[in-house]
Amino acid sequence: MPSPRKHFMRTLIAASCISITAHADENLFGYIKGAETLPIGTLEFDQTLTYRADKDIGEYSAWDSKSEVEYGVTDRFTAAAYLKMQSINTSGIAIDAYIPGAEQYNLKPSGLEAELKYNFLSPAKDDFGLAGIVSISYDWLDKHSGLDKDQYSIETILAAQKYYLEGQMIWAGNLGMEATYAHRAPLSADRAASLPVDFDWPTHSEMEIELTAGTGITYRFIPNWFIGAEAQYQTEFETEVGTERWSLFAGPTLHYGGQDWWATVTWFQQLKGGGERYSGQTEDLHLVEKTKHELRLKFGIDF
Amino acid sequence: MSNHPFNPYWMIAITAISAPAYAQDYLNTQQAQQVLFPEAETFMPLLVKINEQQRDDIKAISGVRQRWDIQKVWKVVQKGQPIGWFVIDDVVGKHEFITYAIGLTVDGHVVGIEIMSYRETKGDQVRNADWRNQFKQKTIKDPFKLDQDIPNISGATLSCRNLTDGVKRILALQQVALNHAP
Repeated sequence: MPSPRKHFMRTLIAASCISITAHADENLFGYIKGAETLPIGTLEFDQTLTYRADKDIGEYSAWDSKSEVEYGVTDRFTAAAYLKMQSINTSGIAIDAYIPGAEQYNLKPSGLEAELKYNFLSPAKDDFGLAGIVSISYDWLDKHSGLDKDQYSIETILAAQKYYLEGQMIWAGNLGMEATYAHRAPLSADRAASLPVDFDWPTHSEMEIELTAGTGITYRFIPNWFIGAEAQYQTEFETEVGTERWSLFAGPTLHYGGQDWWATVTWFQQLKGGGERYSGQTEDLHLVEKTKHELRLKFGIDF
Repeated sequence: MSNHPFNPYWMIAITAISAPAYAQDYLNTQQAQQVLFPEAETFMPLLVKINEQQRDDIKAISGVRQRWDIQKVWKVVQKGQPIGWFVIDDVVGKHEFITYAIGLTVDGHVVGIEIMSYRETKGDQVRNADWRNQFKQKTIKDPFKLDQDIPNISGATLSCRNLTDGVKRILALQQVALNHAP
């Protein structure tokens, strides 16, 4: 019979051998990406739902869904694959070259994406975190009109992250560039007949370059819960018109990190915007490709 | 919006639901004292109040911010002679605080560290004895750098870093506030 002290020590040693290996590449923000990667051999499922609504006139609302499987190839290198889906409900608004009248359908597959992320510097080990992200995607549905449009994109993002107050407050910043080759399908005869004769619907190929800069800061106000704010500036250049659009979105973000899952919700409001405007638009924002506001929910589950 | 198959406001309700915080207490104060100083006869409790100047000195020596104004410390005595210090400290984990105990010799060497309460949801590999043993015999002159003299644990980097910084800070606290304590 072991002595109480030996028994206690054995229990302590046995308990100390128990370990949990899973760790999430937790998304503390809805739109801004952090610099951390998954540990080697770990698998995570992430789901992002984005609600976009209000183009000033008529009715416009859409849901974008991204289902992601992410895998830690090494401690610094993460690979991910996405299935994109979308739904749309629009009526009472027509925008030349973007929205040819009403459309409504429920969620259906709209695209595929593959992403690689490499962590150059760890925010915890190196004081300043830095990661490079490259993604390629193919979409067959246009997120603005909801109609058929083949789009091939490649995007690169530089993601920075820094811990403050020993990690209780976290800052992240992104710089990104996306190049897209797109080709619209012609309108159906019925739809074309319902539009004004001078309605513009180009079906030639387009090249677009989008630049993105974003930043966010979040603070752990009680255990497991972070509250913060994030902002994102985007501008797009297109071959025919030069600067096609720019917009600045910002809003609050709330994050919960649990034992096996996490969730983040972000409200994004367009504060300023410019570039192309559509006929009849009353607000001084960019509402051709963007909406007045977005709501994004993300959650991740560890395996 | 009312015709749309989804209502956006259910999202807010989902995120408002939170699982209860995950917490695990492994050792109480007396158990941690037994593990770190099994030969000790007496643990004399001290409530060490740290003033602004001492906080600045701790930061200057260790490079780490002294978060707390009061530190729980016990003077460890054997055969009427002080043989070390027993300190309980908290450091920031990824989601919650980690409570740990550290034993120091009177001449500023680490006897060992014990994780007393780990409320973190992940990364509790810092409790593994092999990792914690890396701190034994370290002094304030050691670098205390992850992947240099203390190995990092993949998936628990923030916990490793803050525990490593915490040990160095307590060694600085010993120099600033304990060596002259009565």
